[in-house]
Amino acid sequence: MESLSATVRVLVVGTGFIAAQHAAAIHAEPRLELAGVVDVEISAAAAASRANGGVPWYTDLGAALAETGADGCVVCTPNDTHAGIAERVAAAGAHLLIEKPLATDVAGARRAVEAFARAGRVLMPAHSHRHYDYALTVRDVIRSGELGDVDLVRLSILGGWIWPDWRGWMLDPSRSGGHALHNGVHLLDLVTWWTGDVPETVYARGRRQTAAELDIYDYLEMTVRFAGGAVAVCEMSRGHRPASYARRDVLVTGTGGLLSLPWDAESGTVTDESGTALLPPGGTDGFATQMAAWADAVTGAPAAVSGADGLLAVGMGVAAERSIATGLPVRVDDVVKEAA
Amino acid sequence: MTPRTATPRTVALRTLPWGTSGLGTQDHQSDMYVPAFRAHPGFTLVEAAADDLTAAIAETGAQVVSVCAPPGERADRIVEALRAGCHVLADKPMALDAADARRVEDAARETGLVCMPAHHHRFGAAVRSAGAALAAGRIGLPWNVQADFLVDGGDPCPQGELVNFGLYPVDVVLALTGRAVRRVHALPGRDPRRSTVLLLDHDHGLTSTITVGRLPGTTAPYGSVALHRYRISGSGGVMDVDATRPAAAVRTVLGTRAAWHADGTVGRMLTALHTAIVSGRPPEAGPADAVAALRVTDAAARSLALGTPVPLDPSED
Repeated sequence: MESLSATVRVLVVGTGFIAAQHAAAIHAEPRLELAGVVDVEISAAAAASRANGGVPWYTDLGAALAETGADGCVVCTPNDTHAGIAERVAAAGAHLLIEKPLATDVAGARRAVEAFARAGRVLMPAHSHRHYDYALTVRDVIRSGELGDVDLVRLSILGGWIWPDWRGWMLDPSRSGGHALHNGVHLLDLVTWWTGDVPETVYARGRRQTAAELDIYDYLEMTVRFAGGAVAVCEMSRGHRPASYARRDVLVTGTGGLLSLPWDAESGTVTDESGTALLPPGGTDGFATQMAAWADAVTGAPAAVSGADGLLAVGMGVAAERSIATGLPVRVDDVVKEAA
Repeated sequence: MTPRTATPRTVALRTLPWGTSGLGTQDHQSDMYVPAFRAHPGFTLVEAAADDLTAAIAETGAQVVSVCAPPGERADRIVEALRAGCHVLADKPMALDAADARRVEDAARETGLVCMPAHHHRFGAAVRSAGAALAAGRIGLPWNVQADFLVDGGDPCPQGELVNFGLYPVDVVLALTGRAVRRVHALPGRDPRRSTVLLLDHDHGLTSTITVGRLPGTTAPYGSVALHRYRISGSGGVMDVDATRPAAAVRTVLGTRAAWHADGTVGRMLTALHTAIVSGRPPEAGPADAVAALRVTDAAARSLALGTPVPLDPSED
């Protein structure tokens, strides 16, 4: 039983689509308590407060931190605000769980990492897939040595769901960083974490599939070559059809064998008038696991995902966007170093 | 469907197997082609005493030669068989490189005879069905293909699996989409001779990614295909094609095996060869297909050496 004095008081900053899942995870984690919600839009902040039992709501982060004395923040604002908000949270001496990407460029990610190093507080980027059962399974099997040295990884996360309309900031690369930063970092981080290897180059191809007028690549293919010899092909798509399409597929080959995790590996399928789809997996709630891992870190354990991991993922995402622009493989180290 | 029973109208073509060589320890002649020719009502095998191909053709009156000469002289033997008036089934690779394959292409054009490279995977029932669906617009305009061709165990090819297996999935992608390749980037696997990732840019913005490799060998049947699949994404939908199907899985105390009554890829290829010969219609796979696939694997080898993508010149199509 945790004592009340050990409760970590947390602000949720940004009340959009993903904030509700983080808030639910906070409510489910006994070591955490929701201290308030923050959003620059009054109506959104107030609505989030109502949805969370009337916790205090703010439109100004500084005021929220000062008035609540919160120990930590969960930040789920648009990507271009991440680095600046991270610096402010560090300056206030609070811990941070921040939505991916850590920043939309390497310089911003580096500033965030350095700010938390100076503050001596926890910075954990929310690379949520690391906390999902499927990703942990792949990691377990690779780490067990059963597959030998990893040769090839295929990770495909494919969907047909584009963000609601042109007003979505995710469609604006100046705000989201581009799709390689917005969603691509999930895959780039996972394959790096799975292989435990150092990414050397990224060769990426992008496609504006849903509409020629898109400014982002709704289909991304990012091929990573690791220093140890493994190659990973990562596909991230919002451009598949039909719009209801949703597949996640993993393949790992190694010097000792093969792991395959096909799209229907995690649960049963349902076939109805609209076709065949996967039933919701009945496993662990990855967001709850992630929140528990952050609570672990805040209470003294090593962070499951470090600021350096987040910075590297940003570097790989930038390398992917640059590779699409140039048509050439891009060295991750060059991207990370040039912003130093 | 293959006619499994010879009818009076079936023309059994006199077929001379020539050579039992291949890359590394391969003997596709004995392992694949001779059994398939023997089982096929459209062909009858002949044997020659002569050790010279032209003489052997004259001796046997062969109409078809199944050429598995050593890769270094294969193109020469194919051209020799064509010049001697025979149709040819040419083991894969048909030639050492695209330039060598063009000599075969020229000879086939000049003689008007059928020369089919043994790209048998394009004839697989699942692949053919997918190709027909694609051509009928079932998923709209295709824009991406993801393919895996991974074999479990078996003897590694000394020249590398890109040269060995690589031609098969490259040929299937070309057969499925009909889109020529314009740019090739290749990444080596941990052991570059064992595995390669091919990243191809085709006409009309189509991209494809093909993994080719030989796994270390698990408890699966020796040298069996671990994964041979294609995911084709189009403007209107997606197709997932497991090229190892159709197959029933039979699990016994001896292990697991795939079973299917109808012809496999090689038998279906021979039916296509027979049809082209007796009908005079263009073969479903010809020397130009071997040239196209070899251009891709040649460029992939250059890309591996350079570390950058390599363009293919459309004027050389």
